[in-house]
Amino acid sequence: MAPLKQVVSSEGLFDMLREAMKELPVIAPAERKDQPGFHHFARLQQAEDFVPDYVTTTLPPKKAFFQPSETLFTFTTDQPPALELVSDTEHFVLAGVHPCDLAGLDALDLAYSQPPAEVRWPADRGLATVVGIDCMPDDYCFCSSVGTCLTRQGCDLFLTKVDRGYLAEVYTPAGDTMLAKVRTWEPTEADIRDAEQWRERKVERMTAHLEADPAEIADLLEAGGLAHLWKETAERCYSCGSCNTTCPACFCFDMHDEFDLSLKTGIRRRTWDSCQLLEFALVAGRHNFRQEREQRVRHRWHRKFLYLYRRLGRAYCTGCGRCSRACTADINLVDVTNALIAHARKAADHA
Amino acid sequence: MPDRLVRAPYPMTKVFYRPALAQVLRVDQLTQSENLLALRMGTGEPLNHEPGQFVQVSLFGYGEAPISICSSPKGKEGFEICVREVGTVSGAIHDLEPGDWIGIRGPYGRGFPVVELEGKDVLIVAGGIGMAPLRSLVGHIRDNRRRYGRIIVVYGAKNPAAILFKNDLKVWFEDEGIELYVTVDSPDESWTGRSGVVTSIIRDLDLGSSASMNAVVVGPPVMYRFVAMELFRHGLTEDRIIFSLERRFKCGIGKCGHCQVNDLYVCRDGPVFRYSELLGRSEAVEVWAPEEQ
Ligand SMILES: Cc1cc2nc3c(=O)[nH]c(=O)nc-3n(C[C@H](O)[C@H](O)[C@H](O)COP(=O)(O)OP(=O)(O)OC[C@H]3O[C@@H](n4cnc5c(N)ncnc54)[C@H](O)[C@@H]3O)c2cc1C
Ligand code: SF4
Ligand code: SF4
Ligand code: FES
Repeated sequence: MAPLKQVVSSEGLFDMLREAMKELPVIAPAERKDQPGFHHFARLQQAEDFVPDYVTTTLPPKKAFFQPSETLFTFTTDQPPALELVSDTEHFVLAGVHPCDLAGLDALDLAYSQPPAEVRWPADRGLATVVGIDCMPDDYCFCSSVGTCLTRQGCDLFLTKVDRGYLAEVYTPAGDTMLAKVRTWEPTEADIRDAEQWRERKVERMTAHLEADPAEIADLLEAGGLAHLWKETAERCYSCGSCNTTCPACFCFDMHDEFDLSLKTGIRRRTWDSCQLLEFALVAGRHNFRQEREQRVRHRWHRKFLYLYRRLGRAYCTGCGRCSRACTADINLVDVTNALIAHARKAADHA
Repeated sequence: MPDRLVRAPYPMTKVFYRPALAQVLRVDQLTQSENLLALRMGTGEPLNHEPGQFVQVSLFGYGEAPISICSSPKGKEGFEICVREVGTVSGAIHDLEPGDWIGIRGPYGRGFPVVELEGKDVLIVAGGIGMAPLRSLVGHIRDNRRRYGRIIVVYGAKNPAAILFKNDLKVWFEDEGIELYVTVDSPDESWTGRSGVVTSIIRDLDLGSSASMNAVVVGPPVMYRFVAMELFRHGLTEDRIIFSLERRFKCGIGKCGHCQVNDLYVCRDGPVFRYSELLGRSEAVEVWAPEEQ
């Protein structure tokens, strides 16, 4: 069903956030104080801090639901111990989410809800009202290659820039309630056309592309014979793990206990983890079944484009380009993937 | 205030990472490094496990470790685990005394295919601590003896002092429904039984017509390849050889990614796999010779 559409002025958008902030925390992209020109998802102190045309943040908005390090529960050393679940997330608004990041949240919804489903992620997810916003690509974005360009999944309200403000698509009653706090107008044909042109321009301006669709990429990874390309990539990689920790579709984690100083109480924590780190696949007896860096590099591509694609029906890459922006070794996911594609096609031609 | 988000409800099989509490009923020292613990859930509810499944055992302040349930599902009171002291959590488990409380999540994982094995002959091969999950299987088979064909158990331990579950072995030895072979790698003067590795026993077994024979093998990784080779010589095929794999688990439910063997999550898709499921999976290192990787 087509969503209800309304137009809100540019000032009206800020008014909407201001209204929401009276009742709830609002997390949205704002300029980083420590790095002017860069943006991050942070709790807004004032509505004016919201930057509607921000460039992709370093960390994805998944951190609003799953912090890089978070407490699962507290324990005591009593007999029997007292265990208490900890959830520091309250109802909040997550605003200014690009379509690729909506896709990222949706990918994690799917992964964490596979039976046996975990409760933690969906419980926190259910607390948020999500406002999406359309964007323009930079040199690293390639969402049109992985089908996330138009994602509206999991958002309550979605905004697209038009000449006289924003065209708001209303997807849920929560989105409707937010929008109802400010003055809106029925969209005219011009508004609808503006929004369509925005989407067309977005695709036209995309410079990075995967040379095959996710289905073909999965097939060629499965076919294998790419060892020298894994090796080449691994020779440049530092195994720093930044490509995982910045990724909206990565969801691996570690768990460990911490006592507090009294040694009478403590917490179990979980923290984001990365399959590129050497210790990730360590097993008993210090054996490591991904000891070699090329095995870890290969695992990253396989997991994103083959294993999870086969298991859950979608590539675990949203085309956001964060991993390539973050990589100190300048390993670009699009370039590497295209090299894999080119090699596989050449090999197929010779066969 | 915005309404709460209205969205289709999430499927809630519900894993809170907070464990349930269980109390230690008994502790038996089986060997120098292995203890058998009888546990009961704080709720008094049975665990309802399948042989081959595991629980995530929490020692608060130390962490969690996956441990096989080593008692038969039919156990009247609680369940048992057998733990070898190797590190942080297992070390803390060894300090437990009756009455102490620990945390349990699970049972998790896919256990041995006990229903599919009904009506079949089963060769059970255990190496070292691998006897723990297999004790649950043997217990289940003995509890339902008529449902299974010929049952052979081959158990190898490092030396006589390392043999686990001696009381059970005595009972199984008396049980006419079980052909039991126990062997040690390094015998001492007192040892009158067999010596040598399990593969030498398997080699000499008369499996008759092996058409309905299935093998269930749990032991140290190095054992798998060699046992499989012997089983192939007896005519068993990959789909009739069953292994249980070990990885370092964190979540135990297919989320954290730590136990992944190529596309498989050992915790969720296993830990029990048929050899045929592992074929072509380069990270199932225990079933390949290193040069084949
Ligand atoms: C499905 C499944 C079932 C299992 N069932 C059982 C069972 O029934 N009984 C049982 O006893 N075990 C079982 N295990 C194995 C058990 O989970 C592991 O032994 C687990 O790691 C023990 O946790 P730990 O905290 O005691 O060890 P850890 O402290 O995590 O240490 C694990 C291993 O790593 C080594 N290690 C750790 N840190 C270092 C270091 N810094 N330097 C060198 N070496 C190090 C230790 O020597 C040890 O070998 C099972 C495992 C799986 C996956
Ligand atoms: S960010 Fe780059 S250098 Fe770091 S692990 Fe990823 S690919 Fe390797
Ligand atoms: S793999 Fe890279 S481009 Fe794809 S979603 Fe993750 S960070 Fe974004
Ligand atoms: S232990 Fe977390 S995915 Fe298997």
